[in-house]
Formats: sequence, C-alpha cells, structure tokens
Amino acid sequence: MCVTDNQTTSRRQYVAALGAGSVAALAGCASGSGGESEETITIGSDIPYEPFEYRNEAGELIGFDVEIAQAVFGDEMGRDHEFQETSFDGIIPALNNANFRVIMSAMTINETRAESVDFSEPYFTAFQTVLILEDGEIGQLDDLQGETVGVQRGTTGEAAAEDLQSDFDGELTIQSYDQVTGAFDALLNNQVSAVINDNTVSASFAAENDSVVFLEGDGVAADRDDAPDYLTLTIEDYGIAFRQDDDDFRQEVDDALAAIREDGTYDEIYNEYFDG
Amino acid sequence: MATQTDAESDTGGVMMRDRFVKRVGEIAAGGFVLAIGGLLVWILSTQVDYRLLGSPLIAGRFAEAFLLVVQIVVVSSLLSVSAGLLIGLGRISTSPVTGRIAKGYVEFFRGTPLLFQLFVIFFGVPRLWATGEFPIQNWAVPAAVIGLTLNHAAYVGEAIRGGIDAVPDGQMEAARSLGMSRVMALREVVLPQAWRNALAAIGNDQIILVKDTSLLTVIAVPEIMSVFRNINSNQLDPWTPLVWVCLLYLAITMSMSQLVNGLERRSDWGSDSTMLGRLTRGSGGGEES
Repeated sequence: MCVTDNQTTSRRQYVAALGAGSVAALAGCASGSGGESEETITIGSDIPYEPFEYRNEAGELIGFDVEIAQAVFGDEMGRDHEFQETSFDGIIPALNNANFRVIMSAMTINETRAESVDFSEPYFTAFQTVLILEDGEIGQLDDLQGETVGVQRGTTGEAAAEDLQSDFDGELTIQSYDQVTGAFDALLNNQVSAVINDNTVSASFAAENDSVVFLEGDGVAADRDDAPDYLTLTIEDYGIAFRQDDDDFRQEVDDALAAIREDGTYDEIYNEYFDG
Repeated sequence: MATQTDAESDTGGVMMRDRFVKRVGEIAAGGFVLAIGGLLVWILSTQVDYRLLGSPLIAGRFAEAFLLVVQIVVVSSLLSVSAGLLIGLGRISTSPVTGRIAKGYVEFFRGTPLLFQLFVIFFGVPRLWATGEFPIQNWAVPAAVIGLTLNHAAYVGEAIRGGIDAVPDGQMEAARSLGMSRVMALREVVLPQAWRNALAAIGNDQIILVKDTSLLTVIAVPEIMSVFRNINSNQLDPWTPLVWVCLLYLAITMSMSQLVNGLERRSDWGSDSTMLGRLTRGSGGGEES
C-alpha cells in the first residue's frame, strides 16, 4: 500500500533513458576489470532496517537491498559479496576507513554525504513520513509542536526532524535511537509522540501493529503521481555509496543496476517487497 | 666507581642490580610517554579542527550533556551506595533467608551486563502496559538512574561485605563482651572500620559508574557520547568532538578520585574526625552516615 504501480512505471522510463548507454559500457567493463575480480565485495549495512535489510526467523539476511545486491554483484557482475553489519551513524567514516567496499543501507543521496562519498545512480525513492499512534493526540503536523519525536541517529529522518524543530522555533524534542526499532519501541512505550522515518520502513512496522498509523495530510510529494496517500516531509533517492577514489567500480555497479532494471529483475524484487 | 664494584659483587647478575632495573624502568616509561605524547601532539595539530572545537554551538551541546551526566551520576551514586550498604549488610546477615537473597541479588546484577539491564528497564518494562499507556513520559533518564543504581549497588554491596570481612573478628568479640548487641557492635565498632576498608573499592566502582553512563546513548539519553555521535555523523570529524568527550569524562572522574582521596584521608586511623578518634575521646557519634 505504500507505493503504487506508478513508481514502477517511472522506474521503467528512467531505465529506458539509461538503457542505451549501459550496454556499451557493460561490454567495456567485462574486458577491463580482470585484475581485482577475485576479491569479495563487502557491503556495509545497518541491520535491521525492514524491509531493506533484516533477518527472518531463521536468522537469514533478507530484504530489498540484499536481493538487489545479489542481482547486481552476484548475478550481473559475477562477484562474491557479503554484508557486514555496522551502525548507521558511523557508516560513512567506516566506508572511508575501508571497513567495507560499498554501503547499501537504504541510504539517501544528499549533498552533505556526497561531500564524503560518491553515490551510484538512484535505485529507490523514499519519503520521510510521520508515524503516530492511532488513538494518540496528534492529528496534524502542528500538533507535534512541544512534543517529542523519535528518530534513528544519523538518518535523514533525524535531519527532517531537525528541520521541523527549527520550523517550531526549537519547540520539538528529538530522541535519537541507535536503531529504528528503538524509535518504534519508544512510540509504543509512550516515550515519543511520533517517529519520523522513511515511509517504506515505517509502513512495514505499521503493517505489523494495528495501533500505529501514518499521519495524514498533504506533504511535499503531494504533486507527484507516485506519492503515498499520507503526509510526506521530504522526497529522497537511495543510492549505493562508494569511496571517492572508486570510480571504475562505481561505473561497473551503475551499469549492472541499469541492466537489472532493463531485464525486469529490479521490478521483480521491487514487487516482492513493496507491491504485495 | 665504588658503587659499580658493589653491584658487581652481587650474586644475582646484571638483572638484579637495583640501579639497572630502575634505569630500564625509566627508559620504558619515558619511551612510552614520548610515543604517546608525540602521537597526541600529531593528532592535536593535524586532526583537530579548532574552529569546530571552540564553536559555541558545540560547546553548548556538550555542556548540556555534561550537566545531565553529572546529575545522573550524583543521584545514581548516592542511591547505589545507600542500597549497596543494605546489600552488604544483607550479605553478612546471620539469617539464611536474607543472606541468600542478597547473594542472589549480587549474582544477578553482577552477572548480567548493564546494557541488558538497561534494555529490560527501558524497552521491557513499559511494554507491561498497553500500547501508549505507560504513564511515565520521559522514561529514559529515570530508567538510566534505576539501571545504574541496581547494577552498582551489587558492586558496592560486595565492597562493603569485603570491608566488613576484613575487620578482625576480635573487634566484634570485644564489643560483644562489653555487652553490646550484635547490631550495636556492627554499627559502632565494625562498620566504621569496614567503611574505611571498603572506601577504595567503592570509589573505584563509582568511577566505573561515571564511565557506564556512556552506555545510556543506546537508550536515547542525550549524554556525552550521544553528542559525539551526532557531531561525528553530521560533520564526519571524529577527533574534534573526541577531545571534548575525553576532557569532560576526565573532569568528572578526576574530581571523583579527589573526593574519594579526601574521604580516605578523613577516615584514616588517628585522624581526629574518625570514629576511633572520637571513641578514644569518649564522644562516639554517627558522623559516618
């Protein structure tokens, strides 16, 4: 319910625009990347962040990012890859300290981050949204003035909360949790009045909890045809993050991303997590 | 040189010569200080952004966090030492029920991580109410104080039990033979001595309590490490906020060491303010409480 079919359509258009160039590029990289292809690609990721990266009951890592990684690194590029758990608030320094090769962690592309890392082409669009208790006292965004909101530390949800805080002249308390599940717990435990976070992740949580709903209203994404039917604070694109000296590899990954969009793998994975 | 000849006539060879060992120690310690000092100077001159370090905005955020930590430490300290005293007394109780319960308490709170205890209190306890019905709105700080108190009371309790055990049995026997009850003998004779014995261990534990407040970052208490993490994740500069973190923790722990040293000196044998001093002047009192 969180994303409509329009999103997929817009993705296809996007792919069509990229498609022509990528075939040529793919042909080029196949011959050019022999030197380092033995090395396992380690992917830094903040887990759990359902439905992007989380563990099922058997402890297996699943999620949208996990399957995209398999399609891109495994199927398209023929490389071994593994996920490495890390804390989101330190994820960029950890990448630049070479703790892993790339970040795939539902990471929004923004200017501040782009100063320290390079991003792949966007592979997902998300919206910052406000999650509340159904029978709570928050009916509209202005009701949050003077209240406390929960966010995950270092996320764009935290940044959106800080923007809201300055809109309210500082009259908003922000509690930053290590993991988004901590913020969700805080909502259920009456510690915060709302959680500001990416719509898809919040939607997963709301789907499992009858007492939790999205705050309604027209947001910044109201004019878009792929907008969700609840309040949106920001529109954000997710990208895979690379070290700034890793341009050749980034190009390979961009080509592989374009390829899985073209052959329908992307839509298959997308529908598995967001259209069911 | 005369001393050299003396030394060479020693039986233990070169390693047993006092001066040689002393020199080696000095060289090792000096080398250590030079290496660390050099690294520190290098970090402070290349890694630290002094504009950011002195920025009033960041100083303000750290100051706020610092005051909160000091408040949490003062309250948890007072509560955990008081509760620890009760647990220590429970541990030496002649009643098997009290003794075992106190032992069980210590085993549990010393045997499980503080982080686990904080999670139980902060995430677990409110879930005993219906969704959104938990009555305490800002639960993080009370949860922190409760967790730190329960955990450190176990350590203080063991320190006090150790302090009591270290008082020679003769003290209790002598007091009893003067007609004191066991409780009275404990209060007037044994505990004042046990307190002094236990002070160093209690002080040690309370300094650990200060450092344990850093764990509160995971239950969203806006303490010192949280400020560091926010600044690091926004500015992507670890060293500058780390300088703040280091100075602020040392400010608390070093004042705490001073306080413990002062208390130890105050309760030292022969000092006029001690129980023994007062007892010998025939004016016993309860100033140790």
